[in-house]
Amino acid sequence: MNTSAPILELQDISKYFGNVTALEGISTKVFAGQVTCVLGDNGAGKSTFIKIISGLHKPSKGKYMFEGQEVFFESPREARSRGIATVYQDLAVAPLMSVWRNFFLGSEPVKHFGPIKRIDAKFARETTKTEMLKLGIDVRDIDQPVGTMSGGERQSVAIARAVYYGAKVLILDEPTSALGVRQTDLVLGFVRKAAERGLGVILITHNPQHALPVGDRFLLLNRGQSLGEFEKRELTLERLIELMSGRVRAS
Amino acid sequence: MSDSDSPARSDERISYRGPVKRLLVSPEIGALIGTIVVWAFFWGNGDTFGTAGSTANFLDVAAPLGIMAIAVSLLMIGGEFDLSAGVITGATGVTIALMAKYFTDGGAPLWLAIGAAFILCGCVGWWNGFLVNRTGLPSFIVTLGTFFVIKGANLVFAKRVNDKVNISDIDETEGFKFFKAVFAGENVFENWRFRDQSFIIGGLLCSLLLIAGLIEQSLVRRASRNNTSLLAALVGLVAVGAGVVILHQTDSVAGNTLAGVVGLLGLIVAITGWSGSRFESRQSLSGSLPTQARNLVLAGIVGSSVAAFAGQVFSRDERLEIRPWLPVWLVWVLAMAGALYPIFTLVQDLRNKEIARSGGSITWLVLRLPVISLVTLTLVISVLQLTTVQAVRAVVITFAGVAAAVCFYRARSIAGTISTMWFRNIGVLMGLAFVLVAFALRADSSAPRFRGGIFSVLLIAGALVIASTFVEARHVQRRRFDTKSDQLGQRLVVAGGIIGFVALGQRLLFSDGVFRMSIFWWLFFTIVGSFTLTKTKYGNWIFAVGGNKDAARAVGVPADKVKTALFMATSLMGCFVGTMILMRLNSVQAQQGDGQEFEYIIAAVVGGNLMTGGYGSVIGASLGALIMAISKNGIPAARWNQDGRFIFLGVVLLVAVLVNNYVRKKANEQR
Repeated sequence: MNTSAPILELQDISKYFGNVTALEGISTKVFAGQVTCVLGDNGAGKSTFIKIISGLHKPSKGKYMFEGQEVFFESPREARSRGIATVYQDLAVAPLMSVWRNFFLGSEPVKHFGPIKRIDAKFARETTKTEMLKLGIDVRDIDQPVGTMSGGERQSVAIARAVYYGAKVLILDEPTSALGVRQTDLVLGFVRKAAERGLGVILITHNPQHALPVGDRFLLLNRGQSLGEFEKRELTLERLIELMSGRVRAS
Repeated sequence: MSDSDSPARSDERISYRGPVKRLLVSPEIGALIGTIVVWAFFWGNGDTFGTAGSTANFLDVAAPLGIMAIAVSLLMIGGEFDLSAGVITGATGVTIALMAKYFTDGGAPLWLAIGAAFILCGCVGWWNGFLVNRTGLPSFIVTLGTFFVIKGANLVFAKRVNDKVNISDIDETEGFKFFKAVFAGENVFENWRFRDQSFIIGGLLCSLLLIAGLIEQSLVRRASRNNTSLLAALVGLVAVGAGVVILHQTDSVAGNTLAGVVGLLGLIVAITGWSGSRFESRQSLSGSLPTQARNLVLAGIVGSSVAAFAGQVFSRDERLEIRPWLPVWLVWVLAMAGALYPIFTLVQDLRNKEIARSGGSITWLVLRLPVISLVTLTLVISVLQLTTVQAVRAVVITFAGVAAAVCFYRARSIAGTISTMWFRNIGVLMGLAFVLVAFALRADSSAPRFRGGIFSVLLIAGALVIASTFVEARHVQRRRFDTKSDQLGQRLVVAGGIIGFVALGQRLLFSDGVFRMSIFWWLFFTIVGSFTLTKTKYGNWIFAVGGNKDAARAVGVPADKVKTALFMATSLMGCFVGTMILMRLNSVQAQQGDGQEFEYIIAAVVGGNLMTGGYGSVIGASLGALIMAISKNGIPAARWNQDGRFIFLGVVLLVAVLVNNYVRKKANEQR
């Protein structure tokens, strides 16, 4: 399965803030069509990791490869324009705006009417509906405020939006941490769907129960260091929990 | 709402929402109802209110307020406030006036002065936006600072250059005539020969189109047309036309009565015939009327009787006096009763939770609404001595009438799920109650307002209630989308709206009222603002920046630029209004506009704009301004105590916000 080249690769990345070591020598590969889970307890360096990939921080050491080239992102915007989309847990949407307005926020389709440009609401509504359907979400009312949707559905709007705008790598920051059981299932389903559509998905979580069913590859972090990278078949839930809690070193 | 992981079933989960329900979710709804209620109230109360002249007067007040409310509401939707919005109008006036009089020796030409003012105000707006973005301080604080600085500067410059705070006689400046015409020109038209005829025909056409549009959007289409009903509809239409013509031609009582009966019956037949010919019928239900509905009907009968005969209590001769019309001891008794009554009902409710839930005892139901409102009103009015006996009478009639209508309406909706016959009976009874009140009011009053205008309005309302009852009793409410019908219905409503607007507009314009350019600008900015907000990407950005700034920025919306642009728009609009007022008055006070910013904010909030940002409407803000202007002019017209205006404004603000929140919650629950 991993015969193709990785779409995104980190080689021996380290990040220091003054004399604090946030990350030390992390390497990983992200393949298109796969879900790469980044697991770790609080303080393991997950958020630093995500900020480096999304272009918010620059690594102090190491190589960041994207589509086979080394890249140096100056800002998240630059990363986004290359196709690395990040969905933050709480940054996703404006709650009082309708689903379709949120979906197209920032890149509204316009129709020319003489010199006047107006939003092509019909196109936006239909596209939102079909794009959400492709992820397996059937929005009841495309005009309903996003705030009236459940947490899982809200995440899904952000995910569908990222997919629609041609993201190649999708980073999800703790998408399930505030959700109930059913909603979690729902979101993990979207994650799987997104990967099946050919995106490289990076799922950050501290919950091994959520990660194991959807992940293809697992990167375990502990106290800023990698505990190793694993394929799905190498792991069981018990082993994963043991590794994460730091009781055993990976062999 | 919470989980929708059901497999790919599609749209049938959302039922279609009829036009009325859709209107209820819109942010303007509170302001729209408020405008109609406040206008109707003063129209029934103030003898001079409602003429073209007084309409011109309150629109003159409303226009500058409305223009500013538009900008302030956009800013508020974007999540910020501008407390310098009021004082900037004064600053504009002072700048232009000082430049026009003292810049170099002979004074600057007006175009230069106005241009300079616009540039200055643009800079102030930019500065507000820059500071808010850069420091992250609440805009409340930043613009409060700007407010004081400008207020001080106005006074200092006015006194330093002009020696006094009042700068007058700008009209000697070069170019004054042109700018006066643009900003404050008066449009006085001679009376047009067919003014009233056009108004009536336009009004009729507008109502018919609106009714047809609403029906089209609410009911289910039949497979084939029913020609008998269509014929009935045509006959009804002819009868309406005949009624109007007869009414126009005759002056005798018999003729008018004949015309009224023919016209109103024709209206009912036309509406029911039309819906019968085009839309699907439903099976009738036959159950017995539940007790609750029966009690409500009784309450409605009592309420409408009170409304009809309340006028008898008040002496005719004292109607226009402002006086404590109750003996002092009675005021105290009422005050005590007013204080104790809520406590009493509260205890009652707590003790008999079950009774209260099932509708309560009949006395409780009959008395509750009218008693609470009457006691409160009597208290306020007699203690504060705010108004005339006539107005008190109007208040009593209004409240009793509205309470009765609500009781009837609820009884009708309860009956609607159980028995078609009772639904129809209660609806007809409700319509007849309107007719009763109309005749009682006519007999009781001498003012032409009551004998003519309100009488006809109530009669027509009664006929419409009966017609709508027949329609609803016979047809199925549409629960599904029907694109063709929806589109047609919407077009009919829009067409009706435009025709009605034109008919009303020409009626007002071709009269002795003095309408100014400010009204045109207000309309213009309302349309532009509303279009920008709802139909363009900039509007999308404004909503997003106010709703969740970080999310907006994360998807590439230039959040800071949007905010700065909104601040600049507010200041520039302030400049526009300042120029308008200066051209209008030909002089400026340095303190002009101080404190006005709160009125703008009130107008925006009354119009359904959320103070925390992310939600709202430009049309709502305009309507909010209209409500404030109507009450400003209506209160003296009704000979109320003028200082009571502020009490009124405060109550309107609270009620509007509560209604907005309540309606929004209800409407969203039903999605």
